[in-house]
Amino acid sequence: MTTTTRNRKLSPDELDSFGRELDEVRARAVAQLGQRDADYIRRIVAAVRWTGLGGRLALMIGAIGGAFVSGLLIPAWIVGVLLLALSKILENMELGHNVMHGQYDWMRDPHLDGKTYEWDIVATGDNWRKTHNYQHHTWTNVRGMDDDIGYGLLRLFPEQRWRPFYLFQPIVAVIFAVLFEWGVAIQDLRLGRWWYGKISNAQMRKNFRPVGRKMARQLIKDYLFFPLLAGPFFLPVLLGNIVANVLRNLWTYTVIFCGHFTADAETFAKESVKNESRGHWYLRQLRGSSNLTGGRLMDLMTGNLSHQIEHHFFPDIPAHRYAAMAVDVRAICARYGQHYNTGSLPRQFGQVVWRILRHALPSRPPVKRARLARSSA
Amino acid sequence: MSARPRPASTRLPARSDSPFRRLARPWLSPRVFDFWASRLHPTWSWERPLARIVERRAESADAVTLVLRPNRHWHGCRPGQHLNVSAEIDGCRVTRSYSPTGLPGRDRRVAITVKAVDGGKLSRHLCERAKVGDVLDLGPAFGDMQLDENAAAPRLFLAAGSGITPLIALTRALAARGMPAPLSLLYWARKREQLCFVDELRSYAAAHPRFQLRFLLTGEAADAADEGQGRIDAAQLATIADLADREVYACGPGGFVDEARALLAARTVSFQAEAFSPPPRTQEDLDGTVEITLAASARTVTVARGQSLLGALEAQGLKLASGCRMGICNTCACGKRSGSTRHLHTGDAQHEPVSALRLCVNSATSDLVLDL
Repeated sequence: MTTTTRNRKLSPDELDSFGRELDEVRARAVAQLGQRDADYIRRIVAAVRWTGLGGRLALMIGAIGGAFVSGLLIPAWIVGVLLLALSKILENMELGHNVMHGQYDWMRDPHLDGKTYEWDIVATGDNWRKTHNYQHHTWTNVRGMDDDIGYGLLRLFPEQRWRPFYLFQPIVAVIFAVLFEWGVAIQDLRLGRWWYGKISNAQMRKNFRPVGRKMARQLIKDYLFFPLLAGPFFLPVLLGNIVANVLRNLWTYTVIFCGHFTADAETFAKESVKNESRGHWYLRQLRGSSNLTGGRLMDLMTGNLSHQIEHHFFPDIPAHRYAAMAVDVRAICARYGQHYNTGSLPRQFGQVVWRILRHALPSRPPVKRARLARSSA
Repeated sequence: MSARPRPASTRLPARSDSPFRRLARPWLSPRVFDFWASRLHPTWSWERPLARIVERRAESADAVTLVLRPNRHWHGCRPGQHLNVSAEIDGCRVTRSYSPTGLPGRDRRVAITVKAVDGGKLSRHLCERAKVGDVLDLGPAFGDMQLDENAAAPRLFLAAGSGITPLIALTRALAARGMPAPLSLLYWARKREQLCFVDELRSYAAAHPRFQLRFLLTGEAADAADEGQGRIDAAQLATIADLADREVYACGPGGFVDEARALLAARTVSFQAEAFSPPPRTQEDLDGTVEITLAASARTVTVARGQSLLGALEAQGLKLASGCRMGICNTCACGKRSGSTRHLHTGDAQHEPVSALRLCVNSATSDLVLDL
């Protein structure tokens, strides 16, 4: 783990007490779990269902009614798309992502069970529980272990080896953003390893079966079933569903990239996680994550990933509690001289875009640069 | 009105499907269906057995009877059986088993009688706060204490406290058939005001000469002709005619059932008993071993207390899904049907059945039944 000027180096004792204080923040939140959290997640469920219904109805009214009443199509279509996108964003972020972390398992509600929840995107819940809950959250920003660093597609850190393919990165990044849910869906298939013959065709067919089923289901639902309900006026509904899915993809991509790829976010070498202590684990989560400022609306629309740091510290605590927990977390970080990486969405995303553009070209880690400068002096 | 072992899982029950549901299943998420169905009617659901409280009445000084109307996913219950009942308390589903005292007839209603237990979560909730219109989750019926349908043998029922609940159901079933064989019921309670179904039982005794009824009080003096005094002993049982020919059914606290067994098991035709589970141990030692029953694979393994369940089960040769091994990724979580566990980091004890127990950061403090 590199120590920048923004972060004080902690002694082993300090690391222990740093971890202990954060464990206490967690224990206080666990002790408070109750009706308020159950009511909150049920309100989110209701919001997802009602905005989903409203969006689909508005699209239907726009498509069918618009054929007979001029001037109805466009406004109803826009309202429909926005409501449907809102529903999908809430389902994806605040409901699906958080429930699958097991944040509401303590309620013992079979509909909110983290192990069986299936969300409304083309990626299967089972794949996500593996790539995200396990790989990403355990090995956050560890190079070679956390596939979320560039998703095997992008070069975001100078420590990643440069290849000529990365020159196309600005375009690849935009395509990836538009098709983000498809990227998530195939992440666990590791197509690259299959391409290079490290995964057999038979194994790949087996791995693909559940993914293909989920993809087909989502395609038929959004691009066949609901459009066909509008009969001959299916085209606006089809387009509306496509646009809603793309809007959701762009937004989730933006939020997720801001979580780990801002200017101060660090990556770590594999050696650094050997025999990692609790305090050290917290420290790595802190230095690899970054937050977004923006208040309650931002928290809601990002599924509280605006509190990425708190989410990585406490992935199984109901996410709507992060904002309150962040007060304590920030104070602890300040006391231990650790930089708490947060900023507005434009600022954080600007840094992400800069990383995408900058590291499309060859670049060297700052440490190596410094060493080179010294040796040439 | 009892709290006893809870073998049923907290997950949705697997059942055979109608052709319509098989066809619709890939396209219709039960989550979505249940959300909209429950807007239309509180107990409509895709597959969850739910029941609405349609009536509540006081049964004794500290017990209420709740009449429930289950939805069509609940498949009934025979007299003497038990079922799991869950209610949401402070955001969390709490499950306990009760023996229905009123069984579904034409009106498909089922009644449970709940005694408010000191410190009891669900019993207090059902006795003090549950109201008509509330929705409860129901589990499938289970339990072996049932009447041998063909035998016209004389029977002896021994009930203590909440132990009356399966036995009143059996008594009603026999009364409905005109008491085909001699039946004696001995029913213990501390005080008279704690006895349930008193008028009903007396009316059976008045109507059926073959039904012998005796209320036994351990905490106050006997008064009426059909009352007696004192804990279960040989002298009380000596008053039963043809004791050696009787089929005995006993239900009550563990100590009571043990005593009844010691007095009777060798002296009667048959002896069936059900005892309430003792309260979960809170003072556990870290040494020694516990038995873990793996319900899905029908295996039982013995593991050391106090060590991570994941490590302990792996040491027994089990291959389990696992990930971070530090309690964050939820990969190793599995359902716990019964038993007590302790969180290795926080020290928190968990005695309830849970749908997601993280094996990597919990240890067993009692015998467990897991969904593995």
